[in-house]
Amino acid sequence: MNPNEGSYPLLLMKSYWFLDREGGTCHALPHDQRILAERIKQLEGDKTAETPDWEYAVKCGFVKNRGEYLDLLHATALFLAADRIDEESKVDHPELILMVKMLDEIDTVINLLSERSVEWYRALNPEFSRKSEIPRGRKLRDLMRDGSDEALGEILDEIEQLTRRRSTLSMKVSAKAAEFLPNCSALAGGLVAARLAAEAGGIRALALMPGSAIQVLGARNALFCHLSTASPPPKHGLVYQYRGVHGSRKERRGKVARVLAAKLAIAAKIDYYRGESDPVFIEKAQETILNAGRSP
Amino acid sequence: MIWIGDQLVSEGPGGVYGERMIQGYRLWNPRRSKLAALYNLGKGIDLESHHRVLYLGAANGTTVSHVADYVEVVYAVEPAPRPMQDLIVVARQRKNIIPIMADARRPERYIPLVEKVDIIYQDVAQPDQAEILSVNSRFLVSDGFMVFMLKPRSIDVTRTPAHVAEEVINELSTRGIRTEECVWLSPYYPDHAALICKIS
Repeated sequence: MNPNEGSYPLLLMKSYWFLDREGGTCHALPHDQRILAERIKQLEGDKTAETPDWEYAVKCGFVKNRGEYLDLLHATALFLAADRIDEESKVDHPELILMVKMLDEIDTVINLLSERSVEWYRALNPEFSRKSEIPRGRKLRDLMRDGSDEALGEILDEIEQLTRRRSTLSMKVSAKAAEFLPNCSALAGGLVAARLAAEAGGIRALALMPGSAIQVLGARNALFCHLSTASPPPKHGLVYQYRGVHGSRKERRGKVARVLAAKLAIAAKIDYYRGESDPVFIEKAQETILNAGRSP
Repeated sequence: MIWIGDQLVSEGPGGVYGERMIQGYRLWNPRRSKLAALYNLGKGIDLESHHRVLYLGAANGTTVSHVADYVEVVYAVEPAPRPMQDLIVVARQRKNIIPIMADARRPERYIPLVEKVDIIYQDVAQPDQAEILSVNSRFLVSDGFMVFMLKPRSIDVTRTPAHVAEEVINELSTRGIRTEECVWLSPYYPDHAALICKIS
């Protein structure tokens, strides 16, 4: 080793989260959580990192005793963990997933309440039959509002409110998905992209998935039924909600779903690792997906 | 271990997860913690005040808080951000919990923080749980114990739990880990086993 290089070769240096040891001397780091946390981040990728030795920390004068060592480690670990959670939420955007889950929950609630209201209304107006032409949605609610009692009317108002909340939330989800999952959203639409991320368990988890897994995301029961019995494999899960899948002829759906899922797998990787829209990719992918839907 | 009548308790500040208090002690419910279930079956390694523990799969810190009441220090590893938020709250109150947000499959990430420990406790419910235990055994002192909560259903749902457990024990032994005892946690946790292991 050339001593003129000015610094000791790395191999002779031992680094701990609290100090550096070079030959016989040691340099303790300041008792500052920020600095110590930075140091730990540097060390954690390092395969040569050493198991910490608290006695050495005392010998070197970093701390007075084991109690102080543990206190400092505790404070630094807390700081680091909080920092990690922050970082995670910056790349994984958990709010998008929570929003789309909320949206689906509101849908379920609206449907349940509507069903119950119809039952209630029928009890009050026996001539009202399911067999007759029943309007749907808002028209149904308007119809029921006359000739029902006050309590039911209030609940119908409540459903009305929820429906409005649902549509604003749905727009917000689409906007957020376009921001955080720009390529997936461009291919499958914001809602489907967000639902896929939710089902996968996060944007990162979605990016790590192969296309074949994305194709059957949301078809868990069918998939496990296929794995344990002789039933046919599911052709599509959540991707069914994409217009090109449910809109195409039955015998082409499987193909569209497969091609779409393969392109979504690439799109998710671009979204997670690059974080920006790639117009060239999107255009080519859309064309491939369209072609998959056409008859041969 | 501290028992009041036939109920397992630990000594420390209460109100971590709404646990009941008995005579100033925190009730450690065997239906909410697999480790408590193990002690209630008369098995397990007694925790002592000088013990250092590596806890893999700390989750929300329910069991961790009880372990911390008994031992000197707990290194609590948990990869997911949401349970980690709860664990941080528990760790603020208990200074001997060192929270570490990392994946237990990659111990090189927390080597700089974790010293040699007397007990490794693992409860992760992952298909590769045996391998996770094996890569973490480097942290154990040579005569230390590993308490391994095995969930055969997470490894393979299609085979019987006893069969899977037998395979895991074999796999561990090829990785240099000897299973001293296999305790099934029924009636508290059906189809869960606790393996008490040592480095062979």
